[in-house]
Amino acid sequence: MENLLTLWHASGLVQMEAGQAAMIFIGLLLLFLAIRKGFEPLLLVPIGFGGILANIPGAGLAYSAVENALHHADPLVLAEITELFSLPADAGIKSLLAAVDGAGPVVQLTLQRLAESAGYSNGMLYNFYNVAIASGVAPLVIFMGVGAMTDFGPLLANPRTLFLGAAAQFGIFATVLGAVGLTALGWMDFSIADAAAIGIIGGADGPTAIYVSSVLAPDLLGAIAVAAYSYMALVPMIQPPIMRALTTREERAIEMKQLRHVSKREKIVFPLVLLILVALLLPDAAPLLGMFCFGNLMKECGVVDRLSDTVQNSLINITTIFLGLSVGSKLVASKFLDVETLGILGLGIVAFGIGTACGVLMAKLMNRFSAVPLNPLIGSAGVSAVPMAARVSNKLGLEANPHNFLLMHAMGPNVAGVIGSAVAAGVMISLVG
Amino acid sequence: MQAGIIDQGLELMLYGMGTVVVFLALLVVATTLMSRFVGRFFPEPEVEAPAPRATASGAPTGDAQLLAVISAAIHQHRKQR
Repeated sequence: MENLLTLWHASGLVQMEAGQAAMIFIGLLLLFLAIRKGFEPLLLVPIGFGGILANIPGAGLAYSAVENALHHADPLVLAEITELFSLPADAGIKSLLAAVDGAGPVVQLTLQRLAESAGYSNGMLYNFYNVAIASGVAPLVIFMGVGAMTDFGPLLANPRTLFLGAAAQFGIFATVLGAVGLTALGWMDFSIADAAAIGIIGGADGPTAIYVSSVLAPDLLGAIAVAAYSYMALVPMIQPPIMRALTTREERAIEMKQLRHVSKREKIVFPLVLLILVALLLPDAAPLLGMFCFGNLMKECGVVDRLSDTVQNSLINITTIFLGLSVGSKLVASKFLDVETLGILGLGIVAFGIGTACGVLMAKLMNRFSAVPLNPLIGSAGVSAVPMAARVSNKLGLEANPHNFLLMHAMGPNVAGVIGSAVAAGVMISLVG
Repeated sequence: MQAGIIDQGLELMLYGMGTVVVFLALLVVATTLMSRFVGRFFPEPEVEAPAPRATASGAPTGDAQLLAVISAAIHQHRKQR
């Protein structure tokens, strides 16, 4: 009978809290969106599943050893921690958790040892998170793979499209302003670092967003990653109304001149030029753009096909699995169910909208002042989201004029957007981090 | 404090956007220069160009031969009838 009682108390049903149930539901919702609606399934399936795992009551998969000990209310550890922080003996678990969170690194190490000696260990997802994201490894490896899949040909054929990639990054900074505005109004409570991490959602680039928030605002990482990937999946719905509103039918029907041929040597030299420029001007963007250039060089140089193949396929797939699960570990109820998450989701969609609008407006301006016709629709592709945004430009172009194939032209601003958001990330990290 | 965070946001926007635009503008210049440099001093060895010329110059002889064969065949055919 006693054993039965122990089992019952260890069961999920007893320990389930409302927040955890809600988060498991959100995890199921993400899985539904990924599997049924095809929203970025490669990421949302691991993120959704990780989210469910992280919220299994009593399992503590997403907690560190110390947090696990506190959640199990181990009397020995509790007493020691209370003493360590000289808190009143009847301090609740919440205030202990807050004290542990705010402790310096030396104290953290002591606590870790304390919890481990009491027989608690880090949860599986917590370890994944530390290895994959907290160290910065997974987003960078993915960026290397993205570099190896990117063709800079359209960009090299028409370098002016880099300006479109720059203009679309305005969405990032406008959103930063929105986030600090909400704080100033007293509706939310974001620090400037939080605001910067939220803004980067407007870069429409998953690995960049995760990298920046792991550096600047690890607490918000779950919400930011979920917002970034879900809005990237929604690009075909978010962008077209904005693009139609800002352009006339004649502008959308503009046909562009065919791109010139780009030699292999130019393609090999370009990543090196970019790397040198980054090294000279913005070393803080070097981790992201360095890996990006390295991946691209491996692809273009043509002598390391085996490496390039690995980076583009097996390596990026393995990393994606662990990245997704690690992001899922940040979907713990106590950290995700918050007004601020709603704020992040709202600001994220604004970031996308402003970025798209600025790209289109910049393209209109360039069309006005240049001798070569330029279709304003390709401006919206400046918000990375490769290759979805370029496909949207192509689709709208075809609607206005059935002979108008913009896909290759839109790939230029599209990859320019990737470079632009990585540069923006570097600036944010160097100014705020 | 609350006005301070707005100022910080504005500052971040100014410097951030400025850096992005300047960096990408420099990249445009560097890329254009690089393309011109590579195009002038290290043009791609033209592999494709000689190939069509070879077939083009070979074409007349081929055609003449073909013509001879065809006319011979037609001749044979007519003779048979």
